[in-house]
Amino acid sequence: MIERWSIRQRALERYLVLALLCLFTIVWVTPLAIVALSSMKTPIEQSQSGILALPENAAMIFDNISSASELAGIGNGLLSSLIYAFVGSATAVIAASSAAYSIAMLKIRFPFFWFLIIYSGTIFPFQMYLMPLFGLYQTVGLYDTRAGMLLFYSAIAVPFCIFVFRNYFIGMQGEVIEAASLDGASSFQTYLRIVLPMAKAPALFLFVTQFSWIWNDFLFGQVLAKSDDVRPVMTSLAMLSGTYGKGSIPQQMAGALTASIPTLILFFALQKHFMQGIILNTAGE
Amino acid sequence: MQAGGWPDTNQVSTDPLRNEVQVTALGEASIDAPTRAQALLRTIEPYLYLLPALLLVGGLLLYSVAHTLAISFTDWDLITPPRFAGLQNYIDAIRDPTFTRSFSNTLIWTGGSLLLPVGGGLLLAVVLERIPGQRVLKTLIYLPAILSTTVVAAIWSYVYTNNGVLNETLRWVGLDALARPWLVFAPTNTLAMIVAASWRALGPSMVLFLVGLQTIPPELIEAAKIDGAGERLLFWRIKLPLLRPITAIVVIMSVIGSFMTFDLVWVMTQGGPGRSSETLAVTMYRQAFIMWRMGYAGAVAVILSTIVIAFSIFYLRATLKRSAL
Repeated sequence: MIERWSIRQRALERYLVLALLCLFTIVWVTPLAIVALSSMKTPIEQSQSGILALPENAAMIFDNISSASELAGIGNGLLSSLIYAFVGSATAVIAASSAAYSIAMLKIRFPFFWFLIIYSGTIFPFQMYLMPLFGLYQTVGLYDTRAGMLLFYSAIAVPFCIFVFRNYFIGMQGEVIEAASLDGASSFQTYLRIVLPMAKAPALFLFVTQFSWIWNDFLFGQVLAKSDDVRPVMTSLAMLSGTYGKGSIPQQMAGALTASIPTLILFFALQKHFMQGIILNTAGE
Repeated sequence: MQAGGWPDTNQVSTDPLRNEVQVTALGEASIDAPTRAQALLRTIEPYLYLLPALLLVGGLLLYSVAHTLAISFTDWDLITPPRFAGLQNYIDAIRDPTFTRSFSNTLIWTGGSLLLPVGGGLLLAVVLERIPGQRVLKTLIYLPAILSTTVVAAIWSYVYTNNGVLNETLRWVGLDALARPWLVFAPTNTLAMIVAASWRALGPSMVLFLVGLQTIPPELIEAAKIDGAGERLLFWRIKLPLLRPITAIVVIMSVIGSFMTFDLVWVMTQGGPGRSSETLAVTMYRQAFIMWRMGYAGAVAVILSTIVIAFSIFYLRATLKRSAL
């Protein structure tokens, strides 16, 4: 009797927990719904209608995007960020994979020392980079140029990439050497034809994580760029938003939504890689 | 780790040589024994693969670290040539009440991110683990983590403005008394921003804890249940102790992250009003790029880095231990 009652109570408890969780999740994602809704309203409509009221004309979002773009160069920012994220992470993946190849598989002296040198780039807070980069970029003429931004984004992505590639290459050493010695390939051929194709999985994973890191960067865009053509999208968005932002709320929300689309697409297309990514990022395995 | 790799790597680099020897033996081409230049090239070649990564990291990142360290001992203001100032910037910082406030704000950030994303993530993971349909809930809770901090800052600025989401909701529910300007007074503004940051940070720590929970052998849980252990006992005596490696990583990561808090604060309040919500990273940025006190900013950056690196060493130890398991 008591037994059965306790089972029933436990089931009830379970439903209660589930209900609470669902409620929590709904509240949790409400801000996202609000972003979508208010990006489709006119500023007057936004201030007069309820927060969760449906927009009168959903196409208003395009007006908001284009006026946000005029105000802070969101459109230019999208293009610039796309270039930075794409080329920057690709460059980093190539530079890091070749360095990791040398460290893990070729005959060099003090391989672990070289690894530490390159990997040490992950340990410092970004505040250590800001002033010298700003000064250096001013003197060599890279300040406020797309080339300068690309160079920096490539550099900042290398250390984590080399960490992952080195681990991966050390794991696959035996197979590669066997395959390479069979057809007597040169070290470059081995890298190009054997090592890289075998490292597709970590390369894709790194490309995606570094792509979204670069895409999401605000700070370095703020310090190393100023014109509409060069500024990355998040730095442009920041000009619209916050206490000191100059955009109306619908413009801010339309900008926020637009700026998030690429990473949202990446997330849903490659959800597994993303989840793996945080595990990898933290566990270092 | 490396030692085991030596004989093998040898084999790869001698491969081309063996190839040449073979070719000569077949008489298809007469290739002399490698000249000195060729031999030199062969020893240098492996290092060439290192070069792009080394140049990028060394030339931009490590150079900057060394330079910032040097700047912190000068009175550089970007206009007049820098003069050596010894430890003056560090002394100035420690005596400066805005630095002290920025430091204590940063500590509030650390405490807050241990409580909300870490504690909350653990709680959610433990609850979610036993729920059917956890995948959907997990994805939805994780969703804000995909957004950039700038986007999160934009969204939560709207949540917190006077006629924003939070105040309107409070008024709608009838809690008018609770409605207030969230980003104006300290420490409310810092706490409000910690909530915004947690919205983004909770998902990843929850997922990590879920992964950790999966590694606990189910037999252990079953055995404890047969012995009559309730959920609470199960959590404190079995799950939490076994989650320790993961917990260490999540905790240290949050601590490091909280010390580097910049984007969110800068976009939402720029550290204001009246510098009341500055964190160390914001103070550094303001000193460097608004007030052009590069030396002072350098000192702040170095202090910040010392703390972060100390925690990173703990972090590396924790991860190394984990990979050794």
